[in-house]
Amino acid sequence: MIGLLKSLATTMKHALDGEVYTVAYPDEVPKVSPRFRGVHKFSQERCIWCRQCEKVCPNDTIQIVMDDKRNGEQYNLHIGQCVYCRLCEEVCPTDAILLTQNFEFTGDTKSELVYNKEQLKAVPWYKDIDPLEVREPDRGGWVGEGDGEVDYQ
Amino acid sequence: MSLEAPHEDPLARTDDRESLESILGDHAIGWEEHVNAQGVVIRPDEVQSSLRALRDEGGFDHLSSVTAQEYADRYESIYHLSKYDDRTQEVSVVVPTAKEEPVSQSADAVYRTADWHEREAYDLVGIEYEDHPDLRRILLPETWQGHPLGLDYDQDKPQLVSLSEHANPIAEHHHDEEGETMFLNIGPHHPATHGVLHLKTVLDGETVVDVDPDIGYLHRCEEQMCQQGTYRHQIMPYPDRWDYVSAGLLNEWSYARAIEDMADIEVPEYAQVVRTMGAELCRIAAHLISIGAFALDVVGDFTVTFQYAWQDREDVLNILEDLTGQRMMFNYFRLGGVVWDLPEPREDFFESIRTFLDSFEGSVDEYHDLLTNNEIFQRRCIGTGHLDAETAKSYGCTGPVARGSGIDYDLRRDDPYGYYEELDWDVAVQDEGDNYARMLVRMQELEESAKIVDQCVDILEDWDEDDREIQSNVPRTLKPDADAEVYRAVEGAKGELGIYIRSDGSDKPARFKIRSPCFSNLQVLGEAANGEYVADLIATLGSIDVILGEVDR
Amino acid sequence: MVPQTVATAMPLPDAISDLFGLGDLGLIGQAITAFVAAFLIANVLLVMAAFAGPWGKRKIFADFSDRYAITEHGPWGLFIIPAAAIQLMSKELIVPKGVDRPAWDIAPIIMVFSAIFGFAVIPMGSGIHLADPEVGLLFAFAIASLSTLGMMIAGYASDNKFALMGGLRATAQNIAYEIPLIVTGASVILYTGSLQMSEIVAVQAETLVQLGPISIPAWFAFVNPFAFVLFLAAGMAEVGRNPFDVPEAPTEIVAGYQTEYSSIYFVLVYLSEFLHIFLAGAIMATLFLGGPAGPGPAALGIVWFLAKVVAFFLLTQWFRTAMPRVRIDQLIEIGWKGLLVLSFANLLLTAGIVGVFFA
Repeated sequence: MIGLLKSLATTMKHALDGEVYTVAYPDEVPKVSPRFRGVHKFSQERCIWCRQCEKVCPNDTIQIVMDDKRNGEQYNLHIGQCVYCRLCEEVCPTDAILLTQNFEFTGDTKSELVYNKEQLKAVPWYKDIDPLEVREPDRGGWVGEGDGEVDYQ
Repeated sequence: MSLEAPHEDPLARTDDRESLESILGDHAIGWEEHVNAQGVVIRPDEVQSSLRALRDEGGFDHLSSVTAQEYADRYESIYHLSKYDDRTQEVSVVVPTAKEEPVSQSADAVYRTADWHEREAYDLVGIEYEDHPDLRRILLPETWQGHPLGLDYDQDKPQLVSLSEHANPIAEHHHDEEGETMFLNIGPHHPATHGVLHLKTVLDGETVVDVDPDIGYLHRCEEQMCQQGTYRHQIMPYPDRWDYVSAGLLNEWSYARAIEDMADIEVPEYAQVVRTMGAELCRIAAHLISIGAFALDVVGDFTVTFQYAWQDREDVLNILEDLTGQRMMFNYFRLGGVVWDLPEPREDFFESIRTFLDSFEGSVDEYHDLLTNNEIFQRRCIGTGHLDAETAKSYGCTGPVARGSGIDYDLRRDDPYGYYEELDWDVAVQDEGDNYARMLVRMQELEESAKIVDQCVDILEDWDEDDREIQSNVPRTLKPDADAEVYRAVEGAKGELGIYIRSDGSDKPARFKIRSPCFSNLQVLGEAANGEYVADLIATLGSIDVILGEVDR
Repeated sequence: MVPQTVATAMPLPDAISDLFGLGDLGLIGQAITAFVAAFLIANVLLVMAAFAGPWGKRKIFADFSDRYAITEHGPWGLFIIPAAAIQLMSKELIVPKGVDRPAWDIAPIIMVFSAIFGFAVIPMGSGIHLADPEVGLLFAFAIASLSTLGMMIAGYASDNKFALMGGLRATAQNIAYEIPLIVTGASVILYTGSLQMSEIVAVQAETLVQLGPISIPAWFAFVNPFAFVLFLAAGMAEVGRNPFDVPEAPTEIVAGYQTEYSSIYFVLVYLSEFLHIFLAGAIMATLFLGGPAGPGPAALGIVWFLAKVVAFFLLTQWFRTAMPRVRIDQLIEIGWKGLLVLSFANLLLTAGIVGVFFA
C-alpha cells in the first residue's frame, strides 16, 4: 500500500509542479546543436567535381553528371533517401558540400525530395549557424580562401 | 583424451590447439587460424558429437553465433563457441559442406540456440541442417525463391509472396487436437509487440499454451548492405540502424572492434575514453526506453513512467547530439577512433553531462517509486516469465536477460575493450530469473552506466590538452589480408552484439554477419512464457526487451 | 440542524409541467414534460463527456506527464472538441465481414443507454431530479449493470478474438465486483432506511458532529469511511479503470470488446465509458458524499454535485497514471476473496454503527 501511495504521490507531484518539458513547436523552436546534421548545401564555386562524395555515399544518394570534358553538369541529391551520415562533407576536399542544421523540409512526393544543384544552393542557413565553424575550426585555412565571409550562393 | 576432465574447472584454458585436439580427437579434420580464435574443421555429419564434446569436456557452454557462407567451391557453417565463465576463450568450429549437396548436421540437440541460427543460415545462405526440429525460413516469407546471400542468387527475379487467407477466427480454431484452445495472432500490428513482431499464440482460456515468434517483418538485408560497403567509410552508418532506439554507439563499437582487431588498427586512449562515455550514454538511453516500454506493458497505456523515461532519454539525446551531431543515427565512430573531439567549449559540455547525472539520480529513485516499489507492479512481475540459468545459457541469452537469470556475464568486464578496465563499476546480476529480476538489472545498470559516464567526464576533464588524439592514422582504402576471419563482440544494450567479418582482400567484406543479442533472447520467449497468462506473455516480452530492427536486421 | 439544502421538493418533469402549464394535458403532458426533462439532463451529460473526452483527458494526462497537449485549437485548445466530433462522425464506419448483426449494432447503444438511463434517479440538486421512485437505488444499480450485457454482446458479435476475450473479461469482472458494490451500497440502506434517492440525500444532510462553528454533515463517507473506500474500489472495477482496466487492457488485448468499432459506434462506446465514470461518480456522491450538498445556497446544489462527479473522474485519471493493471486472475481473486468478504464485514460493521449511534 505504501508503494502504491508513493507512486500516486510521484505522479501528482509532476502534475502540480507546473513544469513542462516539451516545447510548443512551431511557436517555440527546439534547441538544435551546432553539430547537428540536416539538409545539405552545395557550392558550385567550390566544387571541383572530384566525385568523392558520390563515391563515398553509402546508399547512392548523390548523383553527379559530367560532360565529356569532365565539367560538372548536374549535382543531384535525394534528401529523402539520405541517411545524414555526413561522409560526403567529410571527404570533400573543398567543403563544397556540407550539411546545414536545417531539419525542416517537406515534399508531397518522393521525387520532390530529389534536390538538384540549384535547390541545394538555395538551402538556407539554419539560424545563421556556419557548420564549418563549429565542426572543424581549423579547416577553413586549409581551403585556402583566407579571411572574410565564406561565400556560398 | 585428456586425463583430467577440464570442465571441472571452468577457467582452465581449453581454447588452444592441444586441448582442442585432445577433446576432439579424430573429429578434427583440419585447422584454421581466425583472428579471434582457433578454428577447427570438422565433418558435417559429426557436428553434434563434436560440439557435445566441446561443451561437456571443453566447457564451451555458449554458442554465440552461427555464421553460414558460400565459397566458390563449398558451403561453410561456423559455430562460434565461447564460455560464459571466461569469454576470452573462444573456438570457431568450421563445418564445410559440399557445393552440390549442402547438408550438415544440426547443432540444435546440443545448443538450443542453434535452432534459429540455423534456420537463418538456411534461409539466407541455403545450407540444410539434418535433424533440425523445424527447418523453415525465418526472415523471408515461406514462398521466397532462392537464398539471398548465396553466390548465384538472382535478385532481379520477381518474387511471389502469397498470403494464405486467415481462417475464421472463432469457429474453426475452437476445437483443435489440443482440445479447447484458441489460436491468436498477437501482432504484427499490436500495441505491445514493440515493433513488427508477430506472435503465433495458442491459448487455453487466458493461459498461453504455445507461443511461436514469427520474425522478419523488418528484415532489411543489413548484412548484405554491409557487404557492399567499404570498410573505411560506408559500413559505419549502418550499425546505428540495428538497435535503433538510441543504442547507436554501442552498435558502432561492435563493427569498430571487429575491424580494428582484424586490420590491426590502434585506437588512441583518448578516443577510447570518449567512446566509452558515448557508449554508456547510449546504454542509459536504451535502458530508459526499455524500462518505459515495460511500464507501458504492465501499468497500462496511460502510465506516465513511459513519459518520464522519455524525458530523461531526451536529455541524454541532447548530450549525444552535441557530441555526435545526430540524435539517433550517430555515425560517430571511425576506424581507429571517433570523428570529432568533444564540442567546444568543453566546460559547457561537461557541465551539461554533470547536470544530467545529478538530476538522473532523482529520476532513478522516481522509477523505483513508480515501478519496482509498487505493490501491484511487484505482484505482476515477481515470479512471472521465469527463466532459469541453464535454459538461458542453452539459448545463448546474453545481456540483462542472462544477468537477470543469475549468469554473471558482461563483455565489458569479461572480454575487456575500450576503457572499461580502468574504471570502477560493477556488473548487475540478479538470481531470480523473473520479469522483476530483469527489470532490477536494468535499473542497476542505469546507475552503473551513470557511474562510468561520471568517471569518464573526470578523466576527460583532466586530459592533457596536447594529447587529445581522436583518430589514429588509417589508410583511406583499407584492405585487410585475404581470407582473414574475425568474430568480435561487444556488450550492446541488449547483450552480446557480435560481428563476423571475412575478408577477401578487397576493400569490402566478403561476408559480414551480425550476431544480434535480441535474436537469441527472443528465442527464449516460449520457454519463459508458456503456461502463463496472456498478460504475463506481454510482460515477459517487454522484459526480454527486443528491438525488431536488431532481430530482423 | 443545518438548513436542508438538498431535498428536491418536486421532480424536474413536474417543475417543467408547472412552468408551462402542461399539468392538465394528462398522459400526453406527462410524456412531453418527461421527455423535455430527460433531454435537458442528457445534454448536460453529453456536454460533460465532450469536455472530458477529447479535451479534459488529454490535458490532464499532459499535466501528469509534463507536456502541453492540445495547443493549436482555439483558447486552451478547446476547439478540439468540435473538431474531434466532426472528425469522428465523418469517418467511415467499417463493418467487418463476420460481425453478427444486429447484435453488433445494438451493443454500443445498450452501453450508452445504460449509462444515461442511470441518471434518471440521481438527485443532482438545484431541482434537477428526473424521477424519484421508492426503489431509486436499486434502479440505478440495475441499469448501470446493463452495460455489461452490451460489452458481452460487443465482444461476441465482433468476430474478433481480442474482442471476445475483452467481452469475457468484462463479464467476469463485472460479476465479481457487482456483488461487493451492491452489498456495500446496501450498507447505506441500513443507515438511511430507504432506497429512495431523495431520502438518502436528506438523511445525510443532518449534522454528524459540531466542531465549533463548523458542522460536519452526516455524509455516509464520514460515518463509515471503510464502506466508502470499499465502494470506491469496487466502483473503479465496475467502470473498468486502472488498476482494473483488464477488459480493455490495450497492451494485452488491443482494445478488448471495442476493438472492431469505428466511427460513430466508437463514439458511442467511448461516450459510454465516460458516462459510466460519471454515473459511478454520481452514485458515489449520492450515497456517500451527500449528493448535491455543500456550502452556500441550495441553488448551488448542481455545482456541488457536478464537482463531486468531476472529482471522481479526476481520481480515475490520476489512478491511470500510476496504478499498474492487475492481471485477470488477480482481479478475480481480489474481487471474490477480498472485496466480497470485506463488503459483508462492512455490512456487519455498519449495522453495528447504526445500531449504536443512530438507533
